[in-house]
Amino acid sequence: MAKEVFMPKLSSTMEVGTLLQWFKEEGDPVEVGEPIFEIMTDKINIEVEAYEEGVLLKKYFEEDDEVPVNTVIAYIGEEGEVVPAESPGISGEDSDPAAETDSAIGNSTVKVAGETEEAKSEAVLENGKVRATPAARRVARENDIALNPVAGSGPKGRIHEQDVIQAISDNAVLVTPLAEKIAKENDVDLGHVIGTGARGKIEKADVLAFIEAQKAPSSKPATGERVKLKGLRKAIADKMLESVRSIPHVTLTSDVDMTKAIELRKALLPIVESQTGYRLSYTEIIIKTVAHVLGNHPKVNAALIGNEIVYNNDVNIGLAVAVDNGLIVPSVKKANKKGLAELTEASKTLGRKARDNKLTPDEMQGSTFTISNLGMYAIDGFTPIINPPETAILGVGRIAEKPVVVNGQIEVRPMMVLSLSFDHRVIDGAPAAEFLTELKESLEDPYSLLV
Amino acid sequence: MMREITYLEAVREAMSIEMRKNDDVYILGEDIGVYGGAFGVTRGMIEEFGPERIRNTPISEAGIAGAAVGSALTGMRPILELQFSDFITIALDQMVNQAAKIRYMYGGKGKVPMVLRTPSGSGTGAAAQHSQSLEAWVAHIPGLKVVQPSTAYDAKGLLKAAMDDENPVIFYEHKLLYKTSSAVPEEEYSIPLGKADIKREGTDVTIVATAIMVHKSLEAAKELEKEGISVEVIDPRTIVPLDEETIVNSVKKTGKVIVVHEAVKRGGIGGEIASMIAESEAFDYLDAPIKRLGGASSPIPYNPELEKAHVPQVSDIIKAVKETLNRA
Repeated sequence: MAKEVFMPKLSSTMEVGTLLQWFKEEGDPVEVGEPIFEIMTDKINIEVEAYEEGVLLKKYFEEDDEVPVNTVIAYIGEEGEVVPAESPGISGEDSDPAAETDSAIGNSTVKVAGETEEAKSEAVLENGKVRATPAARRVARENDIALNPVAGSGPKGRIHEQDVIQAISDNAVLVTPLAEKIAKENDVDLGHVIGTGARGKIEKADVLAFIEAQKAPSSKPATGERVKLKGLRKAIADKMLESVRSIPHVTLTSDVDMTKAIELRKALLPIVESQTGYRLSYTEIIIKTVAHVLGNHPKVNAALIGNEIVYNNDVNIGLAVAVDNGLIVPSVKKANKKGLAELTEASKTLGRKARDNKLTPDEMQGSTFTISNLGMYAIDGFTPIINPPETAILGVGRIAEKPVVVNGQIEVRPMMVLSLSFDHRVIDGAPAAEFLTELKESLEDPYSLLV
Repeated sequence: MMREITYLEAVREAMSIEMRKNDDVYILGEDIGVYGGAFGVTRGMIEEFGPERIRNTPISEAGIAGAAVGSALTGMRPILELQFSDFITIALDQMVNQAAKIRYMYGGKGKVPMVLRTPSGSGTGAAAQHSQSLEAWVAHIPGLKVVQPSTAYDAKGLLKAAMDDENPVIFYEHKLLYKTSSAVPEEEYSIPLGKADIKREGTDVTIVATAIMVHKSLEAAKELEKEGISVEVIDPRTIVPLDEETIVNSVKKTGKVIVVHEAVKRGGIGGEIASMIAESEAFDYLDAPIKRLGGASSPIPYNPELEKAHVPQVSDIIKAVKETLNRA
């Protein structure tokens, strides 16, 4: 009997995956463990492998299609086996594809059940009209909302009254009374105003800015290509916005004299290379130092979850890695328990996997403090955005020779700026400053790590 | 506690009470005297009212109907009984071209106050010529009123209203309902024609059902309640005149409607009710396609299993409700 291949659910929040590419064609033989297609979630690209041996009988989706989790994407079975013409939807709903085809004739229930999933987006018909019930249309009309963006829950994606009610409550515009009054007086549709207040609340300034913008002559710059915000880009956009909107950020900076750290790296470089084959970099020395100092500052190694501050036992250092279309933060687990050789190997491996889109979900979770290193660019200090629900993030700048005063003399020293952003809800300036000060002192005197 | 009597007894009681006080009322039909009629509705009445008022007729539905129309025109108030509603075909010229038209064509100078009582429906193994539900045919004719009671209580009150009406009324009695009982007051009462009855209140979906389908719908509603689905069951009781207001208000409340009757779905009264709803102000409240359940487009089979399969059953109603609610 033919076996289903379905969209895997790779994290608790994953709802859809994008089919990136097919490695097999219909009719191709498939071995157990062979990759059949590649998918992209909001966090990761991954190849989906065959659990069965046989022939790829049917592909239900095209590349770039967004497919809900657990939806049947393909069947593997014996050559010539009969499978449904359309994806039967959620895997396991009807485990016998042959039976489904047989009963499809003259049995409308089965057919409809099969169509529902694949036709979720068919609420908009070919002629541009929307498939919606009269009641859904009435509610949309009464609330002055468009039906096109509403997700229909009925057969063939038909939009029902409840779907519209849901959409209205999802999109309810938060607005201050004053802003609402000004909008009304100036005939401004609040649906078009972007709110900058808490949870996107529209404030007086937003409405005024909108009115100003409307007045301005329409000298919009010519736009080039438009790219839909999706996948990793969308995930980053959502996460950054959430972080900035919900967390009161404060950033502290401190200059660090890296003279001894440079000596340390030089001394250890051949040792680490002979043990691991990788070259020790400042990133690992900073990871090591941060992990060590965090042990003395549990408040900084905490997470604000709901109404509770959770102090983490492990010190897992998130490492911001730039990839083609964005940024991924793999996590070096228990960094405080690892030596520099082990850290070098871990950080290099994670960095490569991140750039190759090969990280596992586990490798991307669980960080308790994040380091963002822009030292390879001509950057000194910056204001990093916290990776929620963590409490703080460390921005690392370049090492540059600068004149500094040492014992009353001006000397040239290799200096580096550390920028620590912290969540002021969780900790205050003083403990954050203590942490950053101890971090600076440890880097300036790395032998203290041995103590 | 009120006594319970059967639907059949309720029909007989309504006629007997009326005949005791109004000498103009009499019954005519085949074998309705000593034999008591095909289903025994008039049994015992000839003993009380005599052969002048319980009149046996020749086997000629055209003749029976013609005699009834004529006597109604002269001031009598006849009740005529047809053994099976299938045979109304033979009486139709009198009913459609005479009874339904005379009051109108003579500007109200003549009237035809008569009731045509006749058993309808399948389920008795009586095969294709003795099992039909042809109410939509007569509902199509302006000038005829059409009644389909579903309970003993309704039968008694509606028959009183039919007998009091100055126009010809076709009064359908469902064969399988004759033996069903309900609480029925001993005294006389009238249920106005054109007033639907909400047999069960609900919020999720409206079922408009006639005759025996009222009971099947109530049974389905009971099953569906276990799954948290709240079904409103409306019995129009008279399809002419039709209580549009009650139906429209219910559909505005629930947004979903299923019309169920035993008669063949094609050309059945369900189509009329569905169209009425679609044309009404309930349209903007419809949240699912209107569904109709009716008999299959075939003669009623003699085989008892096939006979059952021909008409909507409780399971069909449950399925239709779930489909309408997207819960199939």
